[in-house]
Amino acid sequence: MDVNQEKLKTELLTVNMGPQHPATHGVLRVEIKTDSEIVAEAIPHIGYLHRCKEKHSESLDYRGVIPYVDRMDYLAAMNMELGYCLTIEKMLGTEVPKRATYIRMVCAELQRIASHLMFFGTYAIDLGAFSPFLYAFQKREEILRLFEEFSGARLLYNYIWIGGVWNDITDKHIERILKFCDELSEELKKYDTLVSQNRIFIERTANVGLISQTLCYEYGLTGPLLRGSGIKWDLRKNRPYCFYDKMEFEIPVGLGEKGTLGDCYDRYSVRMREMIESIKIIRQCLQGIEAGPVMGKVAKVLKVPAGEIYFRTECPRGELGYHLISDGSKKPYRLKVKSSCFTHVSVLPELAPGQMIADLVATIGSIDIVLGEVDR
Amino acid sequence: MHKEISDFLNRSVSGADAQVISATVGDSAIYVNAKQILKVCEALKNSPEYQMNVLQVITAADYLAAAATETTPAVEERIELTYVIASFIKNSELLIKVKLPRGDKNNLPQIDSICSIWKSANWQEREAFDMMGVKFNGHPDHRRILCPDDWVGHPLRKDYVAMESYNGMTIYPEDKLNFKEREFGVRQKTDVKGAVTSISNYELGAKNIN
Amino acid sequence: MSSQHNHATVSHELSLGQYFDNIKTAVITTFKGMMITLKYVYGVRPVTIEYPEVKEELPEISRSRLYNDAENCISCLQCASACPVDCIYISANRRATDAPALKTKDGTAIKLDLTMYTIDTALCCYCGLCTTVCPTSCLTHTTDYEYASYTVDQMKYDYLAPEVRAWRTRIVKD
Repeated sequence: MDVNQEKLKTELLTVNMGPQHPATHGVLRVEIKTDSEIVAEAIPHIGYLHRCKEKHSESLDYRGVIPYVDRMDYLAAMNMELGYCLTIEKMLGTEVPKRATYIRMVCAELQRIASHLMFFGTYAIDLGAFSPFLYAFQKREEILRLFEEFSGARLLYNYIWIGGVWNDITDKHIERILKFCDELSEELKKYDTLVSQNRIFIERTANVGLISQTLCYEYGLTGPLLRGSGIKWDLRKNRPYCFYDKMEFEIPVGLGEKGTLGDCYDRYSVRMREMIESIKIIRQCLQGIEAGPVMGKVAKVLKVPAGEIYFRTECPRGELGYHLISDGSKKPYRLKVKSSCFTHVSVLPELAPGQMIADLVATIGSIDIVLGEVDR
Repeated sequence: MHKEISDFLNRSVSGADAQVISATVGDSAIYVNAKQILKVCEALKNSPEYQMNVLQVITAADYLAAAATETTPAVEERIELTYVIASFIKNSELLIKVKLPRGDKNNLPQIDSICSIWKSANWQEREAFDMMGVKFNGHPDHRRILCPDDWVGHPLRKDYVAMESYNGMTIYPEDKLNFKEREFGVRQKTDVKGAVTSISNYELGAKNIN
Repeated sequence: MSSQHNHATVSHELSLGQYFDNIKTAVITTFKGMMITLKYVYGVRPVTIEYPEVKEELPEISRSRLYNDAENCISCLQCASACPVDCIYISANRRATDAPALKTKDGTAIKLDLTMYTIDTALCCYCGLCTTVCPTSCLTHTTDYEYASYTVDQMKYDYLAPEVRAWRTRIVKD
């Protein structure tokens, strides 16, 4: 800051962004102290969607928690269920039938695509492009329709159960998923021309909201944020669960192709490339899928042996960890959820200072938060 | 692995009192002395052998005192903090546990903040304070995070009772209450408010079956 | 320590050539995008439906409005205990010993007289846990989705009341 600007500096103006602001993707309130158009300080205030899920789950049986778990990250409910069920199954030592595991993986990857499509659409809206949103939703709708046909619900499924999945999928569904994969691969190329190559989009995102690798570790960032900063870390590869160790796929990392490594564009492009990897995984799953039961042997009244476990899975937005403390009864004694979004919002005060307000919108959009998961 | 780490901690931090609780189901954990948590975390982060570079989460769990029964052992009254620490370099994770006295409203349990080691501890500790009422000494921004600032009590404590009203709003309004307090399965004759029960109709239907 | 991560958007000094070059690429890339959008104007089938006139048929398995066929209910309370939000209220009396024997459709003997079976649909989270535990499968999710009402009290469905039982013909497929 040179001398002239120093003289022009005035008293900071406090602006509240949110809680009802379309660019905050829910009920996040960011208290911004601005010096003209430049953000001097940003303080996120959360808790507007706090439903005390952790307290609720202490009074529910293990199966009854699943609908609540759905409602945390409502855009990636399948992944939330998968993490929870794997945690409980690991404690119980349940063997999940092979077919069920494959179905779970297909669902988790479809959900990842749906979630990233949502990101793609809303991020484009944040930056002022409206039509990509409609195209993304059209594709997402197909996934939701598929989910509805085998799980019975569009958004909050309660489909993955402890021991397996609720309902079997038919060959017809498999065909439709494969067809969808082919269509999406074509569609993604279209999105690339539409948004990723667009000069205005690049100017808005490149060199904006840089997250360095040390900052990633300091704040415990995971998922696309970590990979966007060039760190090759994906739980599906590094600590495989389900059958991810059998699958062949790449971990997309940020390359800094349009700007600096770790900027908004990198995070965006990591997500777009992740969708292609997800398609690969789905195809491999559907090849390997075999006939058989979809529900393992689970006691009617679930009693998890006393002990504790911390288990994490890779969700569209980052790592989701469940820390379960059980006292051997029918209900969890304590179920703590390590939500990735919660950690990701905490990095915001670090990123905001020195940015323009419009760039702050781009930054918040690129960390892709769901407030249901932040507040739980 | 846990044994080695606890040996390492006992060696490098005086008074760490690290001891392994190995579990048959789930994860094992290392208990350390609450007073030394800062040094323990520092040692784990800086050790070239373990390189625990990420703090994943801080969990607090509340235990009320309970006498031993036939099936369960006695429970000591305490608050347990679990620090889940992971290494993204060595691909490992570790559960560090400390025990704190439960304290009461005016005398909350205290522990050193580890914000100076990992910045992610900032919000995690705020959440532990908000939900469980653990005070973190040396925290840069010690406020509630999920509940409003003027909320009374710490919701995740097992003996938590919600306030009756908050800023003039009734917390459990009578007309919106779920029937939770009703004894489950009791054969009672009271009607559900707002619903019309007609037993005669049921009898009519039953006759039709016959 | 933290300030080194701070970074304003890097402001470059643009030469006049670069300035016009930027505008040129912006126009070209936006034009390419517009071509894609233009393709949607003609030749692409509309994906939206005009709701009240055209109604979407939900898949058979879809979990919507709950319906309890009270004649087949044996008042086992399993649905109420499985419900994570406690929205099912049941009460029943023991059947008099001299009353005529009743049986459900699948032959289970009814030993209890249902006196109340009410579901607070406003609380229901449509998770489907209650329907899967039902031993006589009398409690089912139907595919009926048009049941908005003016008051919360109207969302309490008493499945013994005649007006609620009258839906049966409309929403339950045998």
